[in-house]
Amino acid sequence: MLTVANLTKAYSGRTVLTVPALLLSPGIHYFQGGNGSGKTTFFRTVAGLLPFAGQITLDDRYEISRDPVAYRMRVNYAEAEPLYPDFLTARDLAGFVGRAKLAPAGQVDTLAEILGVSTFWTQPTGTFSSGMLKKLSLLLALLGKPRLVLLDEPLTTLDVATAARLFDLIRKLRDEQEVSFMLTSHQDVSLTGLTLTGSWQVGDGIITPLP
Amino acid sequence: MLTVLYRVLVLPFYIRNAGTFGLVFYFAFGFMRPMDHEALIASALGSFFLLILFALAWVLYTARTVSFIRGQLAIPEHLFLQTFRLVPIRRRCFYWFVLFTQLLLPIIGYAAWMLARAVHYQSWASLLFIILAVLCLLIGSVLAVDYRLLRPAPDTVRLPSLRFRLPYELFFPTYWLRHEPLSLVFTKLISCGILVGICRLYPTDDYDQRLLLIGLMLAIITHSQVGRQLHQFEQRYLLLLANLPLSVARRFGQYALIYGLIWFPELLIVLHNGPISVPVYYLIGLWLTGWGWIMLLHSLGYSRSINPDRWQIAIFWGFIGGLLAIMFGWPLLAWGVVGWLVAVGYWYRSSRRRVQL
Repeated sequence: MLTVANLTKAYSGRTVLTVPALLLSPGIHYFQGGNGSGKTTFFRTVAGLLPFAGQITLDDRYEISRDPVAYRMRVNYAEAEPLYPDFLTARDLAGFVGRAKLAPAGQVDTLAEILGVSTFWTQPTGTFSSGMLKKLSLLLALLGKPRLVLLDEPLTTLDVATAARLFDLIRKLRDEQEVSFMLTSHQDVSLTGLTLTGSWQVGDGIITPLP
Repeated sequence: MLTVLYRVLVLPFYIRNAGTFGLVFYFAFGFMRPMDHEALIASALGSFFLLILFALAWVLYTARTVSFIRGQLAIPEHLFLQTFRLVPIRRRCFYWFVLFTQLLLPIIGYAAWMLARAVHYQSWASLLFIILAVLCLLIGSVLAVDYRLLRPAPDTVRLPSLRFRLPYELFFPTYWLRHEPLSLVFTKLISCGILVGICRLYPTDDYDQRLLLIGLMLAIITHSQVGRQLHQFEQRYLLLLANLPLSVARRFGQYALIYGLIWFPELLIVLHNGPISVPVYYLIGLWLTGWGWIMLLHSLGYSRSINPDRWQIAIFWGFIGGLLAIMFGWPLLAWGVVGWLVAVGYWYRSSRRRVQL
């Protein structure tokens, strides 16, 4: 599903992440690691948010640099700590991202209902709590027809009921549409009830499989 | 504590306004000679009306610094500054006083020059006025920011929420208007003011269209910091932009629309104030050229971490080079074609670099 080769990410000349080779099969992959271990850097790099050296290819076909549009059409990302312009509403942001990601008709409304965003649909994000911001970021990350969704700390600040609905949705997307997921969490992921395809440890600038 | 306050509040103010400072200093000490300042100061010392005008300009600058500091106190990453209110009031006011002395240095420096001349001319009433004006500004600023520190997150008057879906092209202009209104107003006032002035100056002598090009270049320079503001806005609030499946051309087109909106008032200005002897198509061409060069500044500056000082120096030398090219008769069409072509070319080139090292 996702192939990473010779990836090096550096900040101001200091290498923070090195991934010589990594092959992720379709499914749900869990990445764990302490604070500052490089999980978010890795996720942002895979999402195309950060410049890097190396190759990242989706489905042996879409290379992030060679096919920047096709790749981004299929790879979505939800930030750990989302922040949006305080005058924009969920409607503004979902409209913009949905159009760019070619979201099918009705998808925005369905996701807004499931994640509970519809209750504050036209409120400016400046009035949101951190949990509401999180719900909105998850909604944006599920728009379109992604093949891979990166969820950075999806459980943080999310209420229990919404978390349960989110994991039902992930399970459904995995089973019915073969969407793959990469997620990080400092919480116990076994409580999510998701069947993990692979678990990975991020630390000291490298990624290794967990037994 | 002072060091932290300086780094969090004072330094960012000067960095954020480096462009404006560069431009003001260029005009104030580039075009105007020291003897012109001396003459101006001598006139002001002899005229209460001129002194009031000076004081008004200082009040505007001080309002900008106070607004900046109050804004900085409100942003989430500066919440730790709330602990500053625990410092005893005398010490706190002393710290604020030191900070505002640093922030108002341009005013204090010029006021000191005026005071020296006031002593020279024995203009004691003016001397007293200047001292009182500067003291009032300092004390007023201290009170204004300390008031905000003690009463954070007020129910301020806000622009009403919009009832329609806001298109992406309006995200940044709306942010600029809501969060940095003074910057927006100053940028547009200076830019439009230059164009109006040049248009009115044109018929007064035997000028040719090169004068309009010089005015255009100055108006473009007033927008030189906008690219950085836009980049900071998107880096902070719209990280997801880079993840969106938008082609390089579409991204360029979206930015062109954003800058087209920002630059639109200048079209109305040149059409309304354009000299009668200059054809309308030339005025429209002038505006399109300005748009292209603003896009060029955007392409050059976007997503590159350029030191603001170096950026201003580059802009300054670009201005000098541009001035020479205009003097040697580079036509408007050439300016327009070069601006747009290099803007597009550099955008394509740097787009690849943004993903791949």
